[in-house]
Amino acid sequence: MLAFEPRDPNLVLAGLEEGRLSPVEALEVLKHSVELGQAGPAGGQRLEEPSSSSAWRLKEALADLDSLIGLDKVKALVREIVAYVKIQQIRAARQLTCEPLALHMIFSGNPGTGKTTCARLFGKIFREMGVLEKGHLVERERADLVGEYIGHTAQKTREQIKKALGGILFIDEAYSLARGGEKDFGKESIDTLIRALEDYRDKFIVILAGYRDEMETFIRANPGIRSRFPIHIEFPDYTTDELLRIADLMLKQRDYRLDLAARARLEFILTRRAGPGNDHSGNARLVRNIIERAIRRQALRLVEKPNLSREELMLIRREDITDDFSA
Amino acid sequence: MRDRQPGGRLSGMKRCTVVGRPNVGKTLLVLSLAEHLKARTVDVTFMDPSGAKQVRTYTVSAAIRELVGPRPHQTRCLQSIVVEVPAGKGRKVVELVDTTGLVDHIHEDLQIRRAMAQTLQAIRPAQIIVHVVDASTAGRDGSGPPAGAIDRQIADFAGSRGGYFIVANKMDLPDAARGLARLQRMFSGCAVLPVSAAERTGLREVKRHVLRSL
Repeated sequence: MLAFEPRDPNLVLAGLEEGRLSPVEALEVLKHSVELGQAGPAGGQRLEEPSSSSAWRLKEALADLDSLIGLDKVKALVREIVAYVKIQQIRAARQLTCEPLALHMIFSGNPGTGKTTCARLFGKIFREMGVLEKGHLVERERADLVGEYIGHTAQKTREQIKKALGGILFIDEAYSLARGGEKDFGKESIDTLIRALEDYRDKFIVILAGYRDEMETFIRANPGIRSRFPIHIEFPDYTTDELLRIADLMLKQRDYRLDLAARARLEFILTRRAGPGNDHSGNARLVRNIIERAIRRQALRLVEKPNLSREELMLIRREDITDDFSA
Repeated sequence: MRDRQPGGRLSGMKRCTVVGRPNVGKTLLVLSLAEHLKARTVDVTFMDPSGAKQVRTYTVSAAIRELVGPRPHQTRCLQSIVVEVPAGKGRKVVELVDTTGLVDHIHEDLQIRRAMAQTLQAIRPAQIIVHVVDASTAGRDGSGPPAGAIDRQIADFAGSRGGYFIVANKMDLPDAARGLARLQRMFSGCAVLPVSAAERTGLREVKRHVLRSL
């Protein structure tokens, strides 16, 4: 079961050190982990990994999460899940009953609200906690899962699931699997997926993502999915203010900065295009595209100029900012 | 967190880890075994739970004077000694690892809990596990079962592997003969060797068992 395998003996030893486990209990758990470790060379390798570095990497992943702008509710929920997994592991080490961890999730929200970023961080976090073996993210959509003729779909879906074992299968716009009615092959894909959730119970985590309303309809229409995906995370739209902070952060990471006029223009564009009710509402991807475009336009503006100062190389001016990506 | 490889291990060197409750005579057994194997001096590598390492050279008698004591938890870190065991025409190099005693309950002292965690860590990769029990307390009347929960757990943990045997130490003390019989009954599946580390008896058998497990 996912819950706790004494997969990480370091956790057991830490429990002994911290006075949560007696040596008798610790040995009892280690006995099982030794059997586990001997099952395969890969397992054995893992046992030898020093826990301090994985604890450190876990802290790092959580710090990465905290450094994301906005997403306060998401952050709180992630902490809740992390705490839950930890306590289940400790409970198991103390031989208390624990439920198998069901960590499949549904992410709903508009594009560019941080769903993929969070999924990637979840992969890291769960790997360091010993829940997932590899923690990689396999990002797929309908076209990767649904086939063209009868029988093709199950095979295609299974292939992608195999790739995701040990990590996270992230299905974007998952509601599209239920589109097209009874005869659509999407249904076969869903059935295959649900089957795999049982077969590879603790080997991987599935995250279904998509727009909020469509996801709700999708889940309501598929009760098998609702019962197997206990964690629902809603990604609210970013406010214009948050989008500006995201822009500042992106620029800072790249050693650029906006002058006042450029900032005003960016704010204007974001309010117009990414404000509530627009098709880009709350979209951080739009911000990234604008920034990347601005960096290229600044380069074009500077490339012919002799004697560039450091300041000039860093500064993005009003004329660099555009939301026209066609040119 | 900690160093997993006590001492500077030579490749191919087998590790023999000595475990048991506190105050059953693990350190004295290791040192008298080294003496039995004709070591005049021993290089003891002390490995702190924090990973710090220190090597000191003793004559065997000085090591016994320094490292063996009447109080439980005299040993608070891994102490390893490399010895040569004659095997056939050649010699084999064995690292004897002395450990902190394990108790049934959660110990109140953090330092000792750390040292016990280190002991468990040393057990896991060991090829040979020598489990020391006190035959004289096992033989005393009204003392309950001859060995406690932790002894059963160690036997359970290590017994499934090759290279595990029990040393019933302190055979020179009263009631030990009865204790030995009880222990042999309790751990009927594996070898229980009567030894008195203090009087240097039974060590030849121990050596034979170590050799057989190599």
